[in-house]
Amino acid sequence: MGSSMQLFISNKSARTGWLLLILLFCIPASYAANEAFTIRSVETRLRNQVYTLSAKIDYHFSEPALTALKNGVPLIVLIDLEVQRERTWWLNKEVAELQQGYLLLYHALTEKYIINNLNSGAQENYDTLHAAVSALGNIEDLPILDAKLAENKGRYIVSLHAYLDLEALPAPMRPIAYISSKWRLESEWYKWPLQQ
Amino acid sequence: MAIAAIKRLFSGAKPIAALFLLLLTSLGLLSDAMHSSTSLGRLYTPLLFINVCAVILLVGLIIKNLYALLLALRKGTTGAKLTARLVLLFAMLTFVPVSIVFYFSLDFLKRGIDSWYDVRVEAALNDALELSKSSLGLRMRDLLRQTKSISTELSLIPDELTPLSINDLRLSLDANELTLFGGKGQILASSSVEANKLVPAKFDDKIKIHLRNHNDYVQLETLPESELYVMRVAVLVPSADPVGEERILQGIFSVPERMNNLANSVKNSFTLYREVIYLREPLKTSFVFTLSLVLLLSLLMAIWVAFFFARRLVQPISDLVDGTQAVAAGNYKTQLPMTGKDELGFLVHSFNMMTQKIAMVTDEANRSQQQLAEQHAYLEVVLTNLSSGVITLDAERRLHTSNAAASQILGVPLTTYEGFSLNKLSHEHPQTLLFIDMILTHLENQDQQWSEETTFFNTTGRQVLLCRGSILSAIDETEQPGGFIIVFDDITNLVQAQRNAAWGEVARRLAHEIKNPLTPIQLAAERLRHKYLHKMKPEDAELLDRSTHTIVQQVETLKEMVKAFSDYARMPHLQLSPTDLNSVINEVLDLYRENPAGCRFEVSLDETTPQIDADNGRLRQLLHNLIKNAFEAMADQPQQELSIKTRCMEKEACRFVEMRIEDNGPGIPEAMLGQLFDPYVTSKPRGSGLGLAIVKKIIEEHGGMIWAENREGGGARIVIRLPVNKELQDGLSADTHHTTGNSDAAA
Repeated sequence: MGSSMQLFISNKSARTGWLLLILLFCIPASYAANEAFTIRSVETRLRNQVYTLSAKIDYHFSEPALTALKNGVPLIVLIDLEVQRERTWWLNKEVAELQQGYLLLYHALTEKYIINNLNSGAQENYDTLHAAVSALGNIEDLPILDAKLAENKGRYIVSLHAYLDLEALPAPMRPIAYISSKWRLESEWYKWPLQQ
Repeated sequence: MAIAAIKRLFSGAKPIAALFLLLLTSLGLLSDAMHSSTSLGRLYTPLLFINVCAVILLVGLIIKNLYALLLALRKGTTGAKLTARLVLLFAMLTFVPVSIVFYFSLDFLKRGIDSWYDVRVEAALNDALELSKSSLGLRMRDLLRQTKSISTELSLIPDELTPLSINDLRLSLDANELTLFGGKGQILASSSVEANKLVPAKFDDKIKIHLRNHNDYVQLETLPESELYVMRVAVLVPSADPVGEERILQGIFSVPERMNNLANSVKNSFTLYREVIYLREPLKTSFVFTLSLVLLLSLLMAIWVAFFFARRLVQPISDLVDGTQAVAAGNYKTQLPMTGKDELGFLVHSFNMMTQKIAMVTDEANRSQQQLAEQHAYLEVVLTNLSSGVITLDAERRLHTSNAAASQILGVPLTTYEGFSLNKLSHEHPQTLLFIDMILTHLENQDQQWSEETTFFNTTGRQVLLCRGSILSAIDETEQPGGFIIVFDDITNLVQAQRNAAWGEVARRLAHEIKNPLTPIQLAAERLRHKYLHKMKPEDAELLDRSTHTIVQQVETLKEMVKAFSDYARMPHLQLSPTDLNSVINEVLDLYRENPAGCRFEVSLDETTPQIDADNGRLRQLLHNLIKNAFEAMADQPQQELSIKTRCMEKEACRFVEMRIEDNGPGIPEAMLGQLFDPYVTSKPRGSGLGLAIVKKIIEEHGGMIWAENREGGGARIVIRLPVNKELQDGLSADTHHTTGNSDAAA
């Protein structure tokens, strides 16, 4: 009796539990197959010993996201950027990594859409959502890398990935956002060779 | 290792309490994180994940425990039913109040959140926002009008004077900044309230487009990283020259502080209200979710704790049940693990004390029993090895114990009569009647100690027994005797030896005393005859001749008798040598083949009989005596038949050669059977009575046995057994052992 009534989790049941847990958290991820953000083009240039990046990104915000925006919920779009040097016999070496954040907000008094660059603090007002989203998708001459860091021989790859930061949403919205495909707004990783 | 660690983690009360506290803390944090925008808000998702994991873990644990409990119930394991009842009770006690609280909380929660939304509040806030917009719009229109007026003034000022007059115009407008742009966006003139500001606010393309369509532009704008508003006004400067370059005047005006603050307050309230109303449903869902999580965790935790405490509570009881069963099965050394200092702990302690005492008592009893058994065995060995017969009777005079010697002496298997009265024994074995009567007489007389010599007739002949008896002292405190003990010895041989010694002494003295005067008597008679025979008359001479002849002849007879006595008394020392009994018999028989009576001999000699250690001369004498004796016994028979048989026989690991001499005479009178081999016992009128006494003496000197019995068909039988040659005996016994060993090995 004593041994059979042990209150511990066995190896087998632990494995089953973890499997269930992983499945539970994998289901919402599988809904994110429809691509909401699309990176149209990426271009890099070397200016004054600094590599700059220009990109065109199409943002298609879902209906719930736009409703939330119009109701005063700020949306944060994050752009992850990585520069890697390719290696033949080993994993690529990461040269630089940076994250660019943009806050999109509707201002009720001015009736304007505001885009705030979280990295630089620069702020722009736009009359329409379309104008704001277009401006958001237009990145120009973003300095990404000092030329000295890319002096080694080999091919350098720039990877770009844009997504809506769900953790920035108000806490009550987060559980729904995590399990709803309409809130999984992100682009695929876009790779582009670093050019001078 | 990891499994052992998890076991330890989930088996103690403290880890469970710690886990419970951790879960409560995480639930509290989760609740706080839901309406917190600080760093705690960032923890919301991990906390949610942790709590969901905890629920899954608890569900897994409970399912496992339920499964184990079901198995235990099906097997009928001790304590399973009690555990099931306790768990059910705990679960019910938790589920009912928690469900009630959950139901009402849910209701209050929904009503509470719904009550946040109020149409009047929304309308008021909308109105306030509209009012702010109108107020600001009024000011903006005013500023536009003033700027337009200034632009008309500016159009009249020559281009080269514009930079000089722009500052005055700015001051008249009370603008923060006033800039004149050319058609391509180039700055023609600018003035700012901040004297050191070199670059004026930039002129946007979208303003230019707007101006082309509407001729003027006025907008309220927010400044980055501040709560301040500015008003941007831009107008086309009328040109006197229709083909001249288009110019734009842009003025940046600050909003009065009071108005700025009020507008911000209204905007913030409005935004917050809209957000809250928008988040009403998600918030409701989240609260319900969190509340359900709390309920589920509490319920699962309660069930798990129920399992834990049921196990803790049932464990000592089930230990006690197992312990009791073990004690019932005879395992008195069962010790249960101590559980605590409560009543159950006291019960376990008492049980342990009880089993310790039982174990001690049982050990003591076993030791005593062992000692008793050892003493009994010792007594048994002593009794078995006693040559004296020992029997004990209980108070009811039933046979209680007897030793092997008693059975041997009495010739009765006494062990089969243990528990029966002595009368049964005497009834079934009449030869013991005298012996038992003697015992019973003494018992009747209640003699404390007695001793008596009695004669006992057995199948082997007459036995003289010396019996001693006494009453055993009472075992318990009653005055009844505890029983009786009778010890008896077969002193037949002793009596016989004493008798033989006495007869030997008599014979020696007779020989000595009689032999001495015989020679003078014979010589005197011969002298009388020699001196007077020829001198006497023929009648007297004949008398003398007959008388002296009689004297001489009788003296000769007496001499022979004395010689026989002397021989009996003083037999020379034995000259033992390996002898074949069969050949000695044949040699002796040859002397009797030509007997006058025409006796028929039946000789059956076993050729396999081994040699014996014997004095050849004595053996011949023995045979002569026996054959002569037989002839004398058969003297009156018309057809005399003498049978001599030898055979080899084994008895009690000592091999004997047996010789039987049988005649067809009248047999031995029953009264003489016991004393047949005593000196001077004879049935013959002329016998000396020493023949068979000498035979017995020779046999005893050779270490053999002799007895006489009557044949069933008439006649007597003398049976002699002589031991086989010592070396041959050893060889044979070695062979026997060897054979036995081989047969054992074969088996």
